[in-house]
Amino acid sequence: MKMKKLGASILATIMAASMLAGCGQSSNQTAETSADAQASETTEVAADASTAAGETAGEKTIEPTEITFWHYMTGNLEETLTALTDEFNSTNEYGITVTLVNQGYASDLQTKLQASAAADALPDLTQAYNNWLTPYLDKIVHLDDFVANDFDNWDDIVEAYRGECSEFGFVHAVPFNKSTYVLFYNKTLFDELGIEAPKTWADVEADAKIVSDAKGIAFIGYDDSTGAIEATLKQNGESFVDETGALFDTDGGREAFEYLSNLYSNGYARLVGEDGYFSNVISNQNIASYVGSSAGVSYITAEGWELGVAPLPGNKVNAANMAGTNIVMFSQDTNKQLAAWEYLKFLTSTESTSKWAVSTGYLPVRQSAYETAEYKAYMEENICAAACYEQSKDFFYSPTFDASNDIRNSVSPAFEQLVLDKADAQTWFDTILSTINAQY
Amino acid sequence: MDKKSFKGYLYLLPSIIIMVCFTLYPLVRAIIMSFLGDYSIINDSYNSIGFENYKALFSDPDFGKSLINTAIYVVCVVPASIILSLLFAVLINSCKKLKALFQTIYFLPYVTSVIAIGIVWRWMFNSNYGLINYVLSIFGVEPIQWLNLPEYAMPALIIFAIWKSMAFNILIFLAGLQTIPEDLYRAARIDSTPRLRVFTRITVPSLAPMIVYSSVIGMIGAFKVYNEVFSLFQGKAGPANSAMTIVYYIYDKFYNSYKYGVAAAGSVVLFLIILALTQIQLKVTGGRKK
Repeated sequence: MKMKKLGASILATIMAASMLAGCGQSSNQTAETSADAQASETTEVAADASTAAGETAGEKTIEPTEITFWHYMTGNLEETLTALTDEFNSTNEYGITVTLVNQGYASDLQTKLQASAAADALPDLTQAYNNWLTPYLDKIVHLDDFVANDFDNWDDIVEAYRGECSEFGFVHAVPFNKSTYVLFYNKTLFDELGIEAPKTWADVEADAKIVSDAKGIAFIGYDDSTGAIEATLKQNGESFVDETGALFDTDGGREAFEYLSNLYSNGYARLVGEDGYFSNVISNQNIASYVGSSAGVSYITAEGWELGVAPLPGNKVNAANMAGTNIVMFSQDTNKQLAAWEYLKFLTSTESTSKWAVSTGYLPVRQSAYETAEYKAYMEENICAAACYEQSKDFFYSPTFDASNDIRNSVSPAFEQLVLDKADAQTWFDTILSTINAQY
Repeated sequence: MDKKSFKGYLYLLPSIIIMVCFTLYPLVRAIIMSFLGDYSIINDSYNSIGFENYKALFSDPDFGKSLINTAIYVVCVVPASIILSLLFAVLINSCKKLKALFQTIYFLPYVTSVIAIGIVWRWMFNSNYGLINYVLSIFGVEPIQWLNLPEYAMPALIIFAIWKSMAFNILIFLAGLQTIPEDLYRAARIDSTPRLRVFTRITVPSLAPMIVYSSVIGMIGAFKVYNEVFSLFQGKAGPANSAMTIVYYIYDKFYNSYKYGVAAAGSVVLFLIILALTQIQLKVTGGRKK
């Protein structure tokens, strides 16, 4: 009898323990919105690529090898990536074979990378947001020498992408599937009410009043609320955060929160709530416009109405969030580094990047790709691509540092609470400021 | 050790090895990690040894909220699920013809992915088009913003979880009902005992071991709730984090904030809570049986 009880206790203990072992599975970011906070912490340098790149200056000798590339592209995106990779595999002169490995959603890839970093089993190449990399920054191959010695015009890469890819103090990545936040709007509704896509905050407020009075629906929503705060501050010429703390304790900062607070308390803006993403809300014509990633355009179903896409409205200046990942290298072997670099050069070439952009709707990473006949023709037909291009000079990226993830994770729920409470501008400002400063 | 018991241990060896590798070792590691300040799983580095993580944990209002939410969840879901499952099991059992059919139907939630069920429930909870609000509207109830407002997030989660956890309990109780000797019921019929009395005096006491089992398993499972939150709120912890649970908190700290030590400390706290409560539960129910 006693034995039985003991057995039961042990069983219960083990069951309770099993939760310690593995509470793993997908996390809470999705490709569509995970806007990528990024970074500015300079870490001690590890993998040194100078020897590898040095060799490239002279005669190149790359032994045939296999490169593993982890990605999270699905559907048409994956097909395009596969086609490009097949082209590289069959045409490169060194016998390099790049093997694509799909790791599921972006969040799955993030989790897998973290586990692989702990097990020291990282792939040669992977897609990654900067804010995934902070725990294992010292395992990333520095690409500065490659870029300096063996790259066709780094300055041709869109400036904001270059900044993002070197924000840790060295070139840690090359840009790949880039997108930006744009304003999607219901053109049919806008035409009916005689309004145009807003260019300024004042336009937003005026248009919102018209829509609200005539239709009783909200005018605007933001898929990424932390991103919305950041962009609003930037549009008012202010900064959001850096590694020292919040930077918007200024008059301009307060103005930005006044704008947001007014939008929500007047019912001009709404939360996405149960609908998950605003692409669903606008598809059902329950909102007039929303700010979301250009990569999410395929999720919008415009049946019985016409979709319009415009650059983000600005105030003192224009500013638009960037999104999408870059490619990072982890190979420790010199030959593999050289081989992987060949592939990265191929993917970021003007030809490849414009092919990629036309087929997927992501943005070209090179300025020269915008000039190709292929992409120009694409932009004429694709309003989303045209709007993205129009604001490409206004791109900014969110800095990554120790607290940047916590800031993203804590600001979103605080934002929701403020909206639900119909808080005034002062409360908005105080709450967001203290939420951020508590994360350091 | 005689030859016979040696052989017995040999048979146990495979499962012992698996348990040591995948249960005991991670448990020990998690406990160690929880005492290492600023621990990194990437290169095993840490700054200090002590209670730093526990201090951070208990000063974080989100953790407090997750403890309260989890407690509410357990207190509501486990008893409600057991009571409802018991009633349904008895009903199914009494309906001899369609028993197999109903048994299958009620077991479906258990074998279906939580994520898939979550999508369906998200639709049922939808404030505009949802089935639940439609049914409520028949009784003149205004549409409830189940998934949009923080105050309804926990109730929605609890309703979803009760329904989901019933499947397993019904199965256990149905199996238990088969073991009750028919003689007892016959004797009750001869004495023309009222049905309710039959239920409370024969069915429930005979099922007592299953009810204890279900409540222990159910409680452990309920403390570890994560999938339900994830699937109902599309990967978030509800509006304004209003449905944050302990495991969600642990997961978030580990994978999104890279605070490995704090996550480990959270899981140790959860472990201790579950351990203490299951011990109490086993003591109480075990004592009554004697």
